[in-house]
Amino acid sequence: MKVALRHLVRNRRRTLLTLLAVLIPVYFLVFMFGFANANLRDMFETATRFDTGHAQIRAVPTKATGSAIPLMRDPSDALAALAEVKEIEWWTVRLDLPAMASVGERSRTIYVRGIVPEEVDPVSGLADRIVAGESLATGTGGVVVGEELALLLKLEVGDEIVLLGAHPEAALGAIRAPVVGVYRAPEAALGRTVIYADLSTARQLARSETAATAIVLRVAGVTGPGDQTALDRAVNDLRANLPAGYEVQDWLELVPMVATYMGILTPALLIVGAIFFALGGLVVLNTIYLSVLERTRELGLILALGAARRRVVRMILAEAGAIAVAGAVGGAVTGVGLILVVEAFGGIPLWGAAAQMMREIGMSPVLHLSANFVQVALSTASMTAVAVLAAWWPARRASRLEPMEAMRYVE
Amino acid sequence: MSSSAVMRTEKLQKVYRTGATETPALRGVDLELEEREFTATAGPSGSGKSTLLHLLGGLDRPTDGEIYLDGRAMSGLSKDELARLRLTRIGFVFQAYNLIPVLTVVENTAFVLELQGIPYRERIRRARAILAELRVDKYADQFPNRLSGGEQQRVAVARAVVSDPAIVLADEPTANLDTKTSLDLIDLMRRMNEEHETTFLFATHDTRLLDRVDRVIHLEDGRIARDERVR
Ligand SMILES: Nc1ncnc2c1ncn2[C@@H]1O[C@H](COP(=O)(O)OP(=O)(O)OP(=O)(O)O)[C@@H](O)[C@H]1O
Ligand SMILES: [Mg+2]
Repeated sequence: MKVALRHLVRNRRRTLLTLLAVLIPVYFLVFMFGFANANLRDMFETATRFDTGHAQIRAVPTKATGSAIPLMRDPSDALAALAEVKEIEWWTVRLDLPAMASVGERSRTIYVRGIVPEEVDPVSGLADRIVAGESLATGTGGVVVGEELALLLKLEVGDEIVLLGAHPEAALGAIRAPVVGVYRAPEAALGRTVIYADLSTARQLARSETAATAIVLRVAGVTGPGDQTALDRAVNDLRANLPAGYEVQDWLELVPMVATYMGILTPALLIVGAIFFALGGLVVLNTIYLSVLERTRELGLILALGAARRRVVRMILAEAGAIAVAGAVGGAVTGVGLILVVEAFGGIPLWGAAAQMMREIGMSPVLHLSANFVQVALSTASMTAVAVLAAWWPARRASRLEPMEAMRYVE
Repeated sequence: MSSSAVMRTEKLQKVYRTGATETPALRGVDLELEEREFTATAGPSGSGKSTLLHLLGGLDRPTDGEIYLDGRAMSGLSKDELARLRLTRIGFVFQAYNLIPVLTVVENTAFVLELQGIPYRERIRRARAILAELRVDKYADQFPNRLSGGEQQRVAVARAVVSDPAIVLADEPTANLDTKTSLDLIDLMRRMNEEHETTFLFATHDTRLLDRVDRVIHLEDGRIARDERVR
């Protein structure tokens, strides 16, 4: 409508301010969601690739095992069942044993993680994380320790380490193993506590040829934290196929912290978003109200000439709508634009204490951003709706003016 | 009752209430306006001229009495129906602030046609034609603030007649104009009255304008003191 748009052009300063009031919340929300998306994806990638997989088959605990994962004496029946579930695209057998590591005078409680290196490496990238020495190779009997543990035990590549297995369900085994490499864990706690060994080496510690604690799985079509439905389906198929005595846990059950974080993040962002939207809406309300007040005489004239009240409401909503759409779309475009620019430069690297802290909690020291179309569209649409709703009251007031009184109005 | 009466009032009364005080503005006005009549209503300040025009124009409701437009009583109409009536049957010229500042002269003139839902081309064509008749077509694409007071009032007259209303009501349209411009405006209104056969009723203080009209209704203290046919 011409009158509405001309007023916007005439009052450029105010229009601009209102535009910003609509733009900023959308911009902020798109950016924050972008940050959260990338953050969650980062957590997902780290957890599923390096630690938990998408899901794990474990033995159902028959007695209390403390912090140790219950032992599977021989998981070959589970492996046979697993081969029939077509969604599972990758798996590997793992043996996690609580153990005592001792070097000279020093010792620490740790976990020995027995893996099949050539299966694990392509997924976890453990080989790429080696900072000293070399990576694990099948059948060599060496171990790879985390940077943090190497520091604590004053270990260097080539040193020998004594490991004493302490799984409550396994026989006591002890081995002497050379440290072949040092790795950098994605999370400091892992680096402090997990020593990688070849599966056969770990099995010596448990004094069993076939023991395992988990079959780690990856499910086809699961690429991010948003693919929970596909994951659930695969997990259910698997459960239906598995013999008794096994259970399946997905990554969110295995790292409940991430689940908690996810559970908090979205509502927190929505609350912050709602506050921003409300503030944006108030600014729109204020602007439109002022604009109505300023134009009382003109609105009086329009009503006197016989304009329907509906028409006046529509005219003012059109004015608010134009600002709202322009502002919200502008916010989305600049928000997504900033995300793309940041990503084009490879993210925001953190340094110093902040980088250290991110590592402590197992997150990448480079902040990434990723835009999600649905979130951007929803943010844009909600802000537009809030702005138009905020204009409703002044619009209604304007349409209820008494024409002659309004025409006498002097500002 | 003449069959050609456009507008007729019966015992029209208006009392303004502000708080506890009551101001009687009209105390029983019986009036008939014939089709094509060019009528002025004169009277001292506070005599009720504006009140009468507002009531006739459906901008306010009488305290008592009835108004008939085209033979139909106005008291039964809802607010929205009254607005519709103003839009289609009545043209208005006010003393000042007649035009919407953000619309050009031709858009202002076409505004009531737009409200009536007449298509763009058609309404602009009609608006330009009327502006030409009122000799303000050269300002058609300017904004109102570029025009003099007299020119603005002519645009207001254009806007009032462009939709072919039953009656044009003008409340002191010349109050802010000098004598010559006032006389010009009245002459142009007169021309519109003759060429478009539109009924006009305008209120004025200015006795010099009165020898150009068909009929003068003198109001005093909310009553018709004299109703004279000049021609
Ligand atoms: N909105 C209103 N509220 C209260 N009293 C009013 C209102 N409008 C008019 N009046 C009173 O009604 C009476 C008639 O006023 P009206 O404006 O109709 O006179 P008028 O003839 O148009 O005068 P003027 O020549 O000054 O314009 C006056 O006493 C005036 O004070
Ligand atoms: Mg008056």
